[in-house]
Amino acid sequence: MDQLLEQLTNGLAVGSIYALIALGYTMVYGVLKLINFAHGDLFTYGAYLGLTLLTSLLAHDRMGLGLRLLLLAVMVMGLVAVIGVVVERAAYRPLRDSPRLSAVVSALGASIFLQNALMLLYGARYQVYPDVLPQNAVRLGDLSIPVVRIAVVAVSVVMMTVLYLFVQKTRIGTAIRAAAIDQGAARLMGIDVNKVVVLVFVIGPALGGAAGLLVGLYYGQIGFTMGWTYGMKAFTAAILGGIGNIPGAMVGGLLLGVIEALGAAYLSVAWKDALAFAVLILILIVRPSGLLGERVAEKV
Amino acid sequence: MKKSIAALALGLVSLAARADNVKIGLLAPITGSWASEGQEMKKNVELLVDEVNAKGGVAGKQVQLVIEDDGGERRGARVAAQRLATQGVVAVVGTYGSAVTEATQNIFDEAGIVQVANGSTAVRLTEKGLKNFLRTCPRDDEQGRVGAALLEKMGAKKIALLHDSSAYSKGLADEINALLKAKKMNVVFFDALTPKEQDYSAILTRLKAAGPDVVFFTGYYPEAGLLLKQKKQMGWKVPFIGGDAINNPDLVKIAGKEAAEGFLFLSPPVPKDLDTPEAKAYVASYQKKYGEAPQSIYGVLAGDGFRVVAASIEATKSTSGEKIRAGLGALKDFPGFTGKIAFNAKGDRIGELYRVYKVDANGNFVLQK
Repeated sequence: MDQLLEQLTNGLAVGSIYALIALGYTMVYGVLKLINFAHGDLFTYGAYLGLTLLTSLLAHDRMGLGLRLLLLAVMVMGLVAVIGVVVERAAYRPLRDSPRLSAVVSALGASIFLQNALMLLYGARYQVYPDVLPQNAVRLGDLSIPVVRIAVVAVSVVMMTVLYLFVQKTRIGTAIRAAAIDQGAARLMGIDVNKVVVLVFVIGPALGGAAGLLVGLYYGQIGFTMGWTYGMKAFTAAILGGIGNIPGAMVGGLLLGVIEALGAAYLSVAWKDALAFAVLILILIVRPSGLLGERVAEKV
Repeated sequence: MKKSIAALALGLVSLAARADNVKIGLLAPITGSWASEGQEMKKNVELLVDEVNAKGGVAGKQVQLVIEDDGGERRGARVAAQRLATQGVVAVVGTYGSAVTEATQNIFDEAGIVQVANGSTAVRLTEKGLKNFLRTCPRDDEQGRVGAALLEKMGAKKIALLHDSSAYSKGLADEINALLKAKKMNVVFFDALTPKEQDYSAILTRLKAAGPDVVFFTGYYPEAGLLLKQKKQMGWKVPFIGGDAINNPDLVKIAGKEAAEGFLFLSPPVPKDLDTPEAKAYVASYQKKYGEAPQSIYGVLAGDGFRVVAASIEATKSTSGEKIRAGLGALKDFPGFTGKIAFNAKGDRIGELYRVYKVDANGNFVLQK
């Protein structure tokens, strides 16, 4: 029983990171019907930029730690968003009217370019974040949960909620949903679809960058290829929840994390990934559009 | 006429000089991805050749060192080995990587040249029955024995073994597992993690539920660092042990000093911990010549390889491959820099080279006596 509860918290922590990254895949797919393979690398850029900026921010001890971390998060999200927009302009927009395959190949190319550029800039060795977050744990009976883990889940949930409300309740959010349903009709209604696309490439990478920063602060060790593993898992989470669907990405991410943790707990540690992907296959056989893929009419 | 006589005389002189030389080859990755190891091998052996020649050489002859670069890859090694064989070397020291060494084994064996490898630890190299192959480094299965012995010495009642599914890591874990089973020791956990992930909390929770006294992780340092860090975050205090792939200072950077403190791992000794008087004197003379102490144990093992070959030539007063091999087989308790050296019939080194290291509070790797 104790192990079950502890494994659930383990799974929720990993799952909330998957969910944050999955949002980037799902939003781009919703609007452009394109799988942005470079998204995992934008996540890695978030982690590396976070490390670089954190090092210089730590030198300024006049600000409190909380304020510095907030500033760090804003800067990282802004910078990764800029990179996201540049990738869209350079690699996707020129191919908007080309066959789907060209755009997918271009996305893969962008991913390879970004990953190798990072390796050349920072070197192939693992980089390590300084320990800035408290390392203590909260005790609940026999269960001990690191404070940082609670913070990671809380930060992810807050960001996902804000995004959900933004897309559902604001005029700009409505424009994004309209462009996702039918770009031509949206244009006729006076919506600038190009602006919507740029906005999607601001929000998705910003969230991915924030996830990278969280991973760096939480786990400490980052490598230039880490976007591949996380990207694949997050992409799976997006499909699990129904690609193109924002609540679906959140549910899919958390679910994938929990399935992995429970697989490691009760099956075999070595088989946890196999189990997670077996569940994905089963769900897709039963519900080809993913868990929440059909229930919501508008796809964003 | 005068000229040709002079030329003839010169030829005779150089011929005489040649007859007095003993050619010994060094095969090393001077370039390529293991270049730092190869260059250190070269420095070690060159220094020792100079020392031997200054004392009058071996069996009254000066040693001429012939260095060939294998580039750390098989094709380069094959060409380099053939070049060495045609230049009339009587024995070869090297090389570093197991697969690279394997590519050269048959070339030297067929030419009747004794080969003493310094860094190739794969078990199969000495299981082929090649007469002329020996090595100064330990074999991968020795690490399993030392690991199992350490677990027994610690008095562990419940042992967890964790590997990462790679050939090296799984092989080491299997080796230890088999030895522990033979001694009827209780292995409560045997499983693999996925390398290059970042969150190992699910595995640690599962491990914790199995209730081991000690966990042996046979993988590499990036995963070991994360395991130690996350173990500390969980507030779990069980000791962790690792294999020689963890011997990297980055371990402490990743885990943090507090989480890494007390971690034990097996490794051949680092050069600064070589404790015989010969080794200390050697490290000092190396420092004097190159301005820094030797960094890699494999460079020093190449030096030991050269020294046993020289000792064998000295003892047998012969430069035939067969005699040198017999001389090497007859060595007993040769005072090598890395401990006493003797070889078994397969050409493997007898005796244990692996030591136990512990991470102290400052993140230094301290040799355990």
